[in-house]
Amino acid sequence: MVSGCLPDALELSSIVSMSHDTPPSTRKIIHVDMDAFYASVEQRDDPALRGKPLAVGGSAKRGVVAAASYEARKFGVKSAMPGVTARRRCPQLLFVKPRFDVYRSVSRQLHEIFARYTDLIEPLSLDEAYLDVTADTAGMGSATAIAEAIRRDIRDELCLTASAGVSYNKFIAKVASDQNKPDGVFVVRPGEGADFVAALPARRFYGVGPRTAERMSTLGIHSGADIRAQSLHFLEQHFGKSAQYLYRASRGEDYRPVRPDRQRKSIGGERTYAEDLLLDEDLRKALEHIIDIVWERIDRHRSLGRTVTLKVKYADFQQITRARSVSPPVETRADFERLSRELLEALLPVPKGVRLLGLTLSGLEAPQAAGSLNPGVVAEPSPVQESLAF
Amino acid sequence: MKFRVSRDALLKPLNLVAGVVERRQTLPVLSNVLLNLDGDRLSITGTDLEVELVGRVNLESEGDAGEITLPARKLADICKSLPDGADLEISVSDGKATVRSGRSRFTLATLPAREFPNIEDSIGTHQFTLKQGQLRRLIERTGFAMAQQDVRYYLNGMYWELRAGRLRAVATDGHRLAICTFPGTLKDLEDTQVILPRKGVLELSRLMQNDDEDVTIILGSNHLRATTTEFTFTSKLVDGKFPDYERVLPRAADKIVQSSRTELRQAFTRTAILSNEKYRGVRLKLSNGSLEIVANNPEQEQAEENLPVNYSGDSLEIGFNVGYLLDVLGVLSGDEIRFSLSDPNSSALLEETDGGDSLYVVMPMRL
Repeated sequence: MVSGCLPDALELSSIVSMSHDTPPSTRKIIHVDMDAFYASVEQRDDPALRGKPLAVGGSAKRGVVAAASYEARKFGVKSAMPGVTARRRCPQLLFVKPRFDVYRSVSRQLHEIFARYTDLIEPLSLDEAYLDVTADTAGMGSATAIAEAIRRDIRDELCLTASAGVSYNKFIAKVASDQNKPDGVFVVRPGEGADFVAALPARRFYGVGPRTAERMSTLGIHSGADIRAQSLHFLEQHFGKSAQYLYRASRGEDYRPVRPDRQRKSIGGERTYAEDLLLDEDLRKALEHIIDIVWERIDRHRSLGRTVTLKVKYADFQQITRARSVSPPVETRADFERLSRELLEALLPVPKGVRLLGLTLSGLEAPQAAGSLNPGVVAEPSPVQESLAF
Repeated sequence: MKFRVSRDALLKPLNLVAGVVERRQTLPVLSNVLLNLDGDRLSITGTDLEVELVGRVNLESEGDAGEITLPARKLADICKSLPDGADLEISVSDGKATVRSGRSRFTLATLPAREFPNIEDSIGTHQFTLKQGQLRRLIERTGFAMAQQDVRYYLNGMYWELRAGRLRAVATDGHRLAICTFPGTLKDLEDTQVILPRKGVLELSRLMQNDDEDVTIILGSNHLRATTTEFTFTSKLVDGKFPDYERVLPRAADKIVQSSRTELRQAFTRTAILSNEKYRGVRLKLSNGSLEIVANNPEQEQAEENLPVNYSGDSLEIGFNVGYLLDVLGVLSGDEIRFSLSDPNSSALLEETDGGDSLYVVMPMRL
């Protein structure tokens, strides 16, 4: 699922920073992943869609498939695939518009089910989460029993299926949840971790995308076992920051805790346009719309951030980002608007059509409740620029 | 159509014209330039529907007359990358244009000239001529104060006022205002005023390359046209009412400071480093014979400058956006400037002491 990709990418920094930690005592981690989530919800709610190849999203001119039903996957339709490609692979493919509010409410129900078995829930996206069930607060006896209970609850109450991976750390649990998908469980016990990982293709490790995989391949590294055969020094030379992580992960080690309090690192939004935008005026108008969307999110999270990033993808798919950081952080919509507009203005006039615009606020600080300023520090009023009295 | 032209004669006008067209491509034909040949006179036209630029080249020999549109960027790139002194032969047949030069040959796609949009013209009501350098000065001395994307759309441009034979350019973004007056008198012209859009202003100043040569300006109800021997530039005008700028010129300034322009500028440049990067506020503390400039930022860092100035009178403390002051000091050229202030809430006036042609009003910032 598309939305699942983002947390993985963001997580690399925390993987690297956590990898120096000392091993905790043996934990029990479950990774729960809904099966073809958006598509399954649609098929659940509309019997006419059941048993048919279905794609959520992607019907618009430049739409991308957000999720594909298993029937569609047989034809090679995948998430993140352009709608036109999907249609070519499977001419009878049905497209439905995503209903994100429905998915969000199902996600809340899902969270309620998880909460019956543990408090340590780290959501990765609407349909995916890590659970730390070491404490077994529900007295189920084993992590496998908990995983089965959760899957049963999901089936009975939500009429959806989920797959689960059960293991002693997040990395293996996540890979394991894919093993018997859909509607399956896979368990990797502490003694089996190293062998399980050794058999994995290198691509399944975090941070190993197509490019890195290709580089690994030229170095003769294809599997977890191949990674494990390398020295830390060698990995550092070739893969830089990921080396520590690869070294540990290839031995089945991953000490990252399940963090229920996961802090958001950024808030943003973007839009792909059906027609390329060419005119400065159209770009400005489009930016205002994105400002509306993103500011609404920032406002809802009551977040303060220091960096505004503008992302522009041109018609030829060249993508650029331009960022500006300010101190003190962006507090008002006017500030956010001003910075966003300045970033765009600097790119105008655009040399070629623009297919996507996005804005992100990052460098987030914990929001400060009114009146909670440090004692003794008096907040200075912001300067006021006087205006000419026409 | 068929003609010969030297690369060096074609390159400059083509580049100028391509600069107007290359940026926007709402209609395919807008990414093209229109070539029109009449005898030995070749004109090259580019437009983005808001501004239009026509460049003119006199050919050494007559060609076969005709008109056609060619991809602007590609033609300019080809022309640029041919060697100095090269000759080009451009011919059109069967919807294709062929550019030959030495052992090179390029075949370019064309679009018919009738598809090329003509910027709609209004009848000129005022005409006057000045030197390109004079026009460029009017723009350079005020252009920085134009608003960008202000909802008060009439501020997103430059106001030109003709009054009693005097031409004045004014720009403001609501926080600061810049005025530059053409020192000569333009005879036999009725009073009028226009607002030239920001983009037209920037394009026009780009074209003012030969300071000592003439440029003729024609003002119409909806358009401005600037003509030199080499090109004709047309821009739409902003339809709106510019604010009464004279109302905001400070009248009661009683604290008159005189200072070396470069020293003041350098002092502001240094203090700006430690000003709050969001508000850019600096504090000016004026007392007999000295001006202290202080900047602070949220990291509790501080910059202080102490500058000897020519001033006697009451002390005053006043804040400004240092960027606004630096913009002004950046375009002024005199050795000494005059800074007229009254109180911390009232506007300041900046000008050259030797009777310059420019005036700047900057509103203070309450820090």
